Amino acid sequence: MKVHAGRFLPPIEEIALEKSPVPPQIEFCSVTKMYGTVAAVKELSLSVSRGEFLTILGPSGSGKTTALMLLAGFAAPSEGDILIAGKSVAAVPSYRRDQGIVFQSYALFPHLTVRRNLEFPLEMRGMKAAGRAAKVDRMLERVHLSELGGRMPSQLSGGQQQRVALARALIADPPILLLDEPLGALDRNLREQMQGEIKSLHKEFGKTTICVTHDQEEALTLSDRIVVMRDGRIEQIDTPEALYDRPATSFVATFLGEANILENPGFKIETDVAQPSGTVVMIRPECICIAAQTAPKGAQAGQRQSVTGMVEDMIYAGPLRKYHVRVESSVLIVREHVPSGQQIFEPGDEVQLDWLRSDIRLVPA
Amino acid sequence: MRTLQKLGRMPIALTVPAFAILLVAFGVPVIQLLLTSLNAPAFSVVNYHAFFERPANVRVLFQTIEISVVATAICLVIGYPTAYLIVAASKRLRTVLLVLVFIPYLTSLLARTYAWIVILGDRGLINNLLLDLGLISTSVPIIYSGVALYIGMVHIMLPIMILPLISVMLGIDNSLIAAARSMGARPLAAFWRVFLPLTLPGIRSGVLLVFVICLGFYITPQALGGLRDALLSTVIAAQVQSALNLESIAASAFILLGIAAVVLSIFGLDISGKQGLAAQPTRGSRPSRLPCLGKLAQHIKELFAPYRSKRWIAELYQPANDGGWWQIVGAAFVTVVMFFLLFPGLVVMIMSFGAGTALEFPPSGLSLQWYRSFFSNPSWSGTAWTSIQIGVAVAILSTFVGTLAAYGLSNTVPRLRGLLTMVILTPITFPAIVVGVATYLGLVKLGLIGTKTGLILAHSIGSIAFVVVIVSATLANFDRRLEQAAQSMTAGPLQTFMKVTLPLIRPGVIGGALFAFIHSFDEVVLSSLVGGAVRTLPLRMWESMRNELDPTIAAVASLLMLLPVLWLVALYVTWWRSRSTAKQAPPNT
Repeated sequence: MKVHAGRFLPPIEEIALEKSPVPPQIEFCSVTKMYGTVAAVKELSLSVSRGEFLTILGPSGSGKTTALMLLAGFAAPSEGDILIAGKSVAAVPSYRRDQGIVFQSYALFPHLTVRRNLEFPLEMRGMKAAGRAAKVDRMLERVHLSELGGRMPSQLSGGQQQRVALARALIADPPILLLDEPLGALDRNLREQMQGEIKSLHKEFGKTTICVTHDQEEALTLSDRIVVMRDGRIEQIDTPEALYDRPATSFVATFLGEANILENPGFKIETDVAQPSGTVVMIRPECICIAAQTAPKGAQAGQRQSVTGMVEDMIYAGPLRKYHVRVESSVLIVREHVPSGQQIFEPGDEVQLDWLRSDIRLVPA
Repeated sequence: MRTLQKLGRMPIALTVPAFAILLVAFGVPVIQLLLTSLNAPAFSVVNYHAFFERPANVRVLFQTIEISVVATAICLVIGYPTAYLIVAASKRLRTVLLVLVFIPYLTSLLARTYAWIVILGDRGLINNLLLDLGLISTSVPIIYSGVALYIGMVHIMLPIMILPLISVMLGIDNSLIAAARSMGARPLAAFWRVFLPLTLPGIRSGVLLVFVICLGFYITPQALGGLRDALLSTVIAAQVQSALNLESIAASAFILLGIAAVVLSIFGLDISGKQGLAAQPTRGSRPSRLPCLGKLAQHIKELFAPYRSKRWIAELYQPANDGGWWQIVGAAFVTVVMFFLLFPGLVVMIMSFGAGTALEFPPSGLSLQWYRSFFSNPSWSGTAWTSIQIGVAVAILSTFVGTLAAYGLSNTVPRLRGLLTMVILTPITFPAIVVGVATYLGLVKLGLIGTKTGLILAHSIGSIAFVVVIVSATLANFDRRLEQAAQSMTAGPLQTFMKVTLPLIRPGVIGGALFAFIHSFDEVVLSSLVGGAVRTLPLRMWESMRNELDPTIAAVASLLMLLPVLWLVALYVTWWRSRSTAKQAPPNT
């Protein structure tokens, strides 16, 4: 059987016979973008394979939006090249790149109805009116907006606007989908719902998707891989689990979730391997167990380290309880699930903390 | 007593002084004028009949419409690309170009008209140049022809067209254009399908403003146009100044007003034009019912505010192959337009330093004789002093009354606010000549014709409208929760206004005062009708332009052209200061 992989790629059978591997769908080759004397993106190299969901995560000013703009064709790299399906797109204007983009503000055309908004990309690709109508109907149904085709964007709720924006980006069936902070403007509940929606759309349409966000939860939930950027450079690329479990730097450790970074803990921390110089100790708050001082040692005592400390603060957060515990000169954050049937400690209580030695990570400072 | 107290607490009461002035000087006389035109109490259309029975009148009427339509069309055709190119320019260049558009906008109408007389006249710059080059043997008549009329009118109206367009274009979210491109729209398609429809509100307000002003315009047409180019407003003004046949004046005035009303209703009375853009969820609140002049205030703000750079900034990168030519054409176009807007002023300024007995260009020698003549001749300096006195009085009165009214209006229900704002703005949205005739009638009743008080009153009705527009626009961006916060700290309404609201809207108030002064200082249509023995500077210039060729007027015009620079500096200082306090705010809170 001949499977067509996409409009830029030869059928899979043929590729398999060739010696060269499948070119990545998107490839950044040492791309630098200067704004005046400031480099927004520095020597960015990155490759994304077909059908992958990749999230670029970073604080504001980290260059993640610039990277997306370069890919979308709204800015030109100062140095380096960007390849799509193996071909340089340096000279290809945005309107010939065949990408779907969901903008942070959605950028729905305020003077056109929902239907006309969805038709726009089809019309620009020269599709006839009849074909357009059928496609729009199907897409509206897919995003559960069949009733709202005649409305103006201003008459839609935030979540509905978001869905129109997604539908408009997908309707012309571009091989690449770019999402710019897609859920930034939504409230929390809606955001979770839309995360599910984006995930299922990705599964269904299988587009190579690049998402830019500063929301770590969004990144962890949606992505196959995450790129953490800082000051225009890549800090780490990996799967969500690997990033969380084995952060390469203390920046990644603190940016993705909460972390106890112990530079000068004031007490001896036992590690399985000798701590190399220039590294610090990192342990996640949920890896630390808290117990009364008198509590007996549990199982695996040999693999655990335990220390004593004093509760400085207790924060109740619904399903969780967070303690700040002073141990010698450092304060450790400890996170406990509430229904664990454990004792609740008050500030001033003497407690015993312990953790698995294997949960200790050594990261470069 | 209780109802009176209740009334006193109602915000609408704050608009009473403004409406009182408006009614006495303009509102009541307009209604009287309408009744007169209808032959009240008998009520008949005999006066309108009489108007249309005279072929000369009908010819003038059609000519008025034709000239207004053509001038508006020319302004749009030149103004739209200019506005587009200004918005597309880099931030620094954009600021420079905006200032270059603002300078003629704020420059005295008479000074600009005079400049064209100097350039297009029989012994003017162009004729002299052609004669010197030997291309012609006798001077060609340019002035007093249709061509000169259009050149002058377009010159005056162009900034009025460009500014609302720029204002709307700056408000367009760049990500919309980026979105269109990402969906495969070529630059031209993105322009037609997305950019142009989104700028329609700007086109509409620009066209309406220019057209209505053209309708009631008579200074420039009379100075530059020939006898055959008479406009209805010229005819009305002549009627008022000669024999007073009130019925026929009233009928003519209302026919002119009728045309304006028809055009307004065709293009839609709501000239704020923000409804279509309300879709942007991220867009901050904007005054939605403010007529187009609100753009002016917004515009000044935008001039000095840091350009709201969206994250998908304007660097819509174009591959090298299709950018070059268009850039050259665009740069050339903007240069020509800027030259057209500013060149006449420069010519007059250079000529004003001439040493000869008549004006020449280039001057054979340099001297300050015309400036000396201006300051030593009381018929010039005296009128200037009168104008300043009247202007300051108008500015104080209308800023006070107008700010109160704007504040009162901002606290009333939107529907009522829209209606009342429209009424307050009639003095600047009605054709000038109609306002002039009505005010004339009103002041005759009050016995104030030919007095400074009368002039102050007449100018104030227009100036109040400017203040209301500008202060309302500022109030629309003012966070009402700050007042609630002050009240929660036990500040009374008056204390809240003085300590919180007023300091925060001060830039708008100062801007309003400035425009009130400019309006009065430059006013000539009303003044010529109600001024009588009081001579203002514009009246003296108008007289000089028509009767004598006293080169002193060149010095006066040059001085008046320097004023806008002063205004811009004043506005800059005001807005810049407000910006710096706004910037300091976040870390403190």
